[in-house]
Amino acid sequence: VTQRPTDPAMTCAEIEGLLEPFVDDELEAAEAAALRSHLAECPACSAELALAERIRTGLRTLPELDPSPSILERVRAQAAAESAKVVPLVRPFRPARAVRRWVIPAAVAAALAGLLATTLLLRFQRPAPSPTTAEVQAAEQQARYALAYIGRATRQASLTLRDDVLEKRVVLPTALSVERPLDPRPGLILEHHLTKGT
Amino acid sequence: MDFEEAARRHQRRVYTFAHYFLGNREEAEDVTQEVLLRLWRHCDHLEEVMVEAWLLKVTRNACFDLLRRRRLPAHSASSIELLTHEPASREPSPEDQAEDASLSRQLRKALNELEEPYRSALILREIQDLAYHEIATILELPLNTVRVHIHRGRQRLREHFKEAYGDAATH
Repeated sequence: VTQRPTDPAMTCAEIEGLLEPFVDDELEAAEAAALRSHLAECPACSAELALAERIRTGLRTLPELDPSPSILERVRAQAAAESAKVVPLVRPFRPARAVRRWVIPAAVAAALAGLLATTLLLRFQRPAPSPTTAEVQAAEQQARYALAYIGRATRQASLTLRDDVLEKRVVLPTALSVERPLDPRPGLILEHHLTKGT
Repeated sequence: MDFEEAARRHQRRVYTFAHYFLGNREEAEDVTQEVLLRLWRHCDHLEEVMVEAWLLKVTRNACFDLLRRRRLPAHSASSIELLTHEPASREPSPEDQAEDASLSRQLRKALNELEEPYRSALILREIQDLAYHEIATILELPLNTVRVHIHRGRQRLREHFKEAYGDAATH
């Protein structure tokens, strides 16, 4: 073990972190002087300094390197191939904007108009005979078709309508509104729906 | 900017960085080819004064991408190879040559095991002789941080040497 100086102005631990800046000549003059006086008395830190210098010199003598001469030819060939590549003008199918603008609202309006017309027609056919369960189911089925059509149109417009929302917020209220003109007994469709659901 | 002229002028910079960073000649060639192709694609938008920093930044990123692709640490004993392009700039004695070759090999190995950003900082500063402000641009770090990284990187190499070679490292 190398003997350390008994009363150095700087400790060996302090010196440790200053060796590289010292080698690069980046220390303040006072700090560099203190370090030099420590080194004069401390063979261990002097040996560390020698290693730090050796590493710096060693790194600086590592040469810059040339790639293989063919590399530029390979890049030129790649560049030429890239230039020659024909970019296909194929785009994913999307309806023209003008068509998109009116098709979906028109589809929705037509479906709702159909639903309304059916409801009014049934209302003015008095005296209305009490509908059978089969008729109620048929009416519900028609309402479902109409709503399914709306749903499809909505999906085409990239609107996500979750099934549970559709069921709770659209199907049931619509079914209930259809039920009233069809049957004086309230809750038949709802009951039917709930029975089916369970 | 003329691609041919820029590629000829800077390909050495690109390849040197990639080689020391990756420790593998074939991979360094692949990265160089990829980077020069990017230069070809962007040369119309690059100014000569900024092209070297741009290239080295792109090279470093391409090296990171390659390391991610091979999902291995940036070093392995097998990837350290003898550099066959080393120029003989002086006429050293056979003893000097043997010692230099040994130190050079040890340094390349140690450098290849050094973590980032110390490795990049040391390659750019000590091997490629770039100024602090140029390195700061490439690494996108403040100037003083670059200075600290360079000192700390060499300090780590010193610690590595002492661990690997014991007292022989300091004598």
